[in-house]
Amino acid sequence: MSSHAATGHIDHHHDHTTSTGIPNKKLLWWAFLASDCMFFGALISTHLVYRLNPPPGNANPTQVFNIELTSFSTFILLMSSLLMALAVNAIQKGNIKSTRLMLLGTMFFGCIFLGGQVFEFGHFVHQKHMTLSNSIFGSTFYTLTGTHGTHVAIGVLLLGMMYVRTFKPAAGGGFLLNFVHLAAICVVMGVSFIFVVPGLIEVIYGHGFGEFLGEKAKPLIVGAIGAITLFILSRQRGEVDFGEKNAIDIETIGLYWHFVDIVWIIIFTAVYLLEYL
Amino acid sequence: MSAPAATQPAVAHHEPSKFHFYVQIAMILAVITGVEVVLVYLPLPKSLVIGTLITLSAVKFMFVIFYFMHLRWDKLFCTILFFIGLILAGFTMFALLHLFGADASKPLSAAAIQSVASFTGIA
Amino acid sequence: MAEALAKSSFTGTRHAPAKTFDLFPRPTTKTGLIGWLTTVDHKKIGMLYGGFAIMFFLIGGIEALMIRTQLIVPNNHFVSAQLYNELFTMHGTTMIFLAVMPLNAAFFNLLVPIQIGARDVAFPRLNTFSLWVWVVGAILLNIGWLSHFVPAWKFGGAPSMGWFGYAPLTSRAFTPQLSTDLWVFGLQVLGVSSIVASLNFIVTIINMRAPGLTMMRLPVFTWMALVTSFLLILALPAIAIALLEVMFDRNFGTNFFEVSGGGQPILWQHLFWVFGHPEVYILILPPMGYVSEILPTFARKPLFGYPIVVFSGVAIGFIGFGVWSHHMFTTGMGTIATAAFSIATMAIAVPTGVKIFNWIGTLWGGRIVTRVPMMFALGFIWMFMMGGMSGIMHAAAPADAQQQDSYFVIAHFHYVLIGGSTFGLLAAIHFWFPKFFGRMVPELWGKVSFWLIFVGFNCTFFPMHFLGLNGMPRRTWTYDSNMGWNAGNLFASCGAYLLGIGIFTYFAVLVYSFFKGKKCGNDPWDGRTLEWSIPSPPPEHNFASIPKVHARDAFWYEKTNKEEIAKEKAELIKDEESHGGIHMPDQSWYPFFSAVGLLIGTYNMAQIHLPVMFGGKEILSSHMALAITGGVILLLSCYLWALEGPAGYHIHLDADGNPTDSHGGHY
Repeated sequence: MSSHAATGHIDHHHDHTTSTGIPNKKLLWWAFLASDCMFFGALISTHLVYRLNPPPGNANPTQVFNIELTSFSTFILLMSSLLMALAVNAIQKGNIKSTRLMLLGTMFFGCIFLGGQVFEFGHFVHQKHMTLSNSIFGSTFYTLTGTHGTHVAIGVLLLGMMYVRTFKPAAGGGFLLNFVHLAAICVVMGVSFIFVVPGLIEVIYGHGFGEFLGEKAKPLIVGAIGAITLFILSRQRGEVDFGEKNAIDIETIGLYWHFVDIVWIIIFTAVYLLEYL
Repeated sequence: MSAPAATQPAVAHHEPSKFHFYVQIAMILAVITGVEVVLVYLPLPKSLVIGTLITLSAVKFMFVIFYFMHLRWDKLFCTILFFIGLILAGFTMFALLHLFGADASKPLSAAAIQSVASFTGIA
Repeated sequence: MAEALAKSSFTGTRHAPAKTFDLFPRPTTKTGLIGWLTTVDHKKIGMLYGGFAIMFFLIGGIEALMIRTQLIVPNNHFVSAQLYNELFTMHGTTMIFLAVMPLNAAFFNLLVPIQIGARDVAFPRLNTFSLWVWVVGAILLNIGWLSHFVPAWKFGGAPSMGWFGYAPLTSRAFTPQLSTDLWVFGLQVLGVSSIVASLNFIVTIINMRAPGLTMMRLPVFTWMALVTSFLLILALPAIAIALLEVMFDRNFGTNFFEVSGGGQPILWQHLFWVFGHPEVYILILPPMGYVSEILPTFARKPLFGYPIVVFSGVAIGFIGFGVWSHHMFTTGMGTIATAAFSIATMAIAVPTGVKIFNWIGTLWGGRIVTRVPMMFALGFIWMFMMGGMSGIMHAAAPADAQQQDSYFVIAHFHYVLIGGSTFGLLAAIHFWFPKFFGRMVPELWGKVSFWLIFVGFNCTFFPMHFLGLNGMPRRTWTYDSNMGWNAGNLFASCGAYLLGIGIFTYFAVLVYSFFKGKKCGNDPWDGRTLEWSIPSPPPEHNFASIPKVHARDAFWYEKTNKEEIAKEKAELIKDEESHGGIHMPDQSWYPFFSAVGLLIGTYNMAQIHLPVMFGGKEILSSHMALAITGGVILLLSCYLWALEGPAGYHIHLDADGNPTDSHGGHY
């Protein structure tokens, strides 16, 4: 059916149907990432410009930051990049099972990062009294890291869609099931980064585990139902319309994911570490 | 259509696995991050620490784009395309920081408090 | 090509039986409302862009005439001061974002795929998405006008803080009107549209060229389209951030540009011009491309110094990112920055001058045929050069301190935007009209409109140089009679009416020609590039066979080597039919649906804190629910769009070249 299935192999670094040999989608994403460089360049500039000459009454970053947690988040995001690279590696070998596992892992690590950010924002606002509007540092910091967080969240959503896509039956149909599956993914990821991860971080910082279960009972139950649905749906058998030919799709989402990671590498240094000097 | 036939070797069905390779790279990245965090607490001259931090971040950046994002194995044009954006963004940031760092741009309120405040920023 | 389309896109079930992931059946009708709303054909999309853009060009023109009427005599009260502010704000915004940019986008769509020998752009549905998203942005920007007609709609009139939206004019304290919020969202949405379209064209031009069409054989217009696309994707993010920050300042109490909270309004100026200066090259580079196509055609000579013209275009694009602060010489940036930006600004005149010399070199010794497009192109060279002369005067910072915010600046940028961009576009419309409508525009009436426009334009803007040097400030509602500006303003306003008559004549003649013009063949101008090798108007599939390109002026080579090409073409057609026919992308509902979702989302997001009123009663306490609804529609449409896949159908040509479509199971 597929034109390259007939030729027996797929060259993942070369597309003979385009003028340059680069697949169209890959070229599109690289151009988009170049554009996104300017986007984050302008945002990071805004933050740093206001750090050059802080006005009176500005928040003091080192008193606000929690560098241990941020370092841990950075490590988690790096590891998610590793899993993403492994997912691409797996699909290029046609190993769908391993691809699914790696995609789930990447999403999960992404959610830990996002959960860390949710905790961090809550902590800064409630304990350190730094809000979006009460100092210029708050304005630039929340906007910059929030925009990055939004990028991560979109990445998780895209990965979720791609994960569900790997179950598309070769025989056609399954439209409704597909939506249930996607909804389940969204619920599980949403619950984990909004409630579970921030809650567990609080537990680590001395909040009681029992209290955590009590306070977050409702979302935890919803999340559990979502997780069970996900588990049941992941046991679907039957031939799927997904394989090595789709490597380019996973690879392009991977490009986006890694880009979000390198932006964080810069933010971690420029926004967090340099403040400690 | 730049002579595709010539550049098409009879490759095997699958890419060689880069599993261990990727894991090693991730370990290097993790170690660099650890070094960065420790570095800011060491009693070293400020300029040296800043220089090292920037270098280490750049190294991490390059590792990710050239290996995880496979620029190393892709056509050169992808690298050029991305670096157009990266370099322009870098220059714009550099110019903006210099413009706002110049004496003429210092807000009066900030200049007044700078003499007393103990802020030791990026400038 | 067919392979490229099928393979490079989302690899769903290609030509599988109809049992796939479809919520709605895929539209297949090519005419009527549904045909136009769901089209993925780059030519139809180009015409929609063009039609909307011309509409806004005329609206912007009426706004300009109202401004000139207000200024015709001193102490005039033709419009109120507030309405005057709205007029000049929307005149600038409309002409830049809703007239010149989309007219250029129209020509990108119409010409680029044909000039590179392709059947469509790389991502046809994404192209449809850009178009409808652009329409959403246009609606958001202009919706404020409605409050002047229906007082119950409380938008507070059109935006009134200038097209540059300088902080702190955009803060709630100075412009509490809802239309300012809608302006912020409107520009943001237009940015999304432009970025998506530009990514599409970058991939198309780089990846979809016909065999033999190397980069240095690309028509100059296509080159300029590529450079412009790069400028768009790299410049727009800066204003996206600036607009995001203003939106946060207005709605969520941040302090980016609030002095009381530690913000610095000057940051807006920097971010705005980081975008704004490349933007002026976005407006002028495509017209430079049209002129580079038109001059060789009517001088009967190849373009002089093709590589230099191309490299100059690229150089202008690159240096264009390093000159933004010359808009801000009087803000006090310090001597080093001022000197650096001054020098960079003077440097960018070099590649521009090189281009002018190359055009003159093209004309030199040519056999010049003064048809209407050529008249406009020649007018372009002269008028654009005049604008360049006053531009280089601004580059000298001390001189600029005198000219800043005066009518001298108005004169300068209207010489480059009307004398440059608009003349280029009017030349292009005249030049390619026969190709896309199959009819010629009457020569006499074309020339009449040219002379009216040319004379009217110079009468309007030349006196402004003197008005400016005599100290008349821009954005001024009215002036006293003892300032010595009376004669100049009267003259300029009369010129503006003449210009208005000229523009009206120009478009009236086009409408006439659309219905009654003389029919023309494939190649009425004896052209040099590939679009002239196909029928007028072009068939849906553009080319019966993807051409092989043998030289820089591809069609010129075909015309001089007829036998060789005829043999080659017959082979190519046979070859393509044996591979299943001509592959074309399918139409889709989802780009349009996602734009509708975006409209609902952004319109409500802009007034998120306000209660929803219906029939004088409050029915919801905030617009949050409606904004989320829009967002969900957008997201779902995008997901269904991805699931649906590009699919596609095949066209088969019979012996006379008549097409028949076939859908479904081919392989």
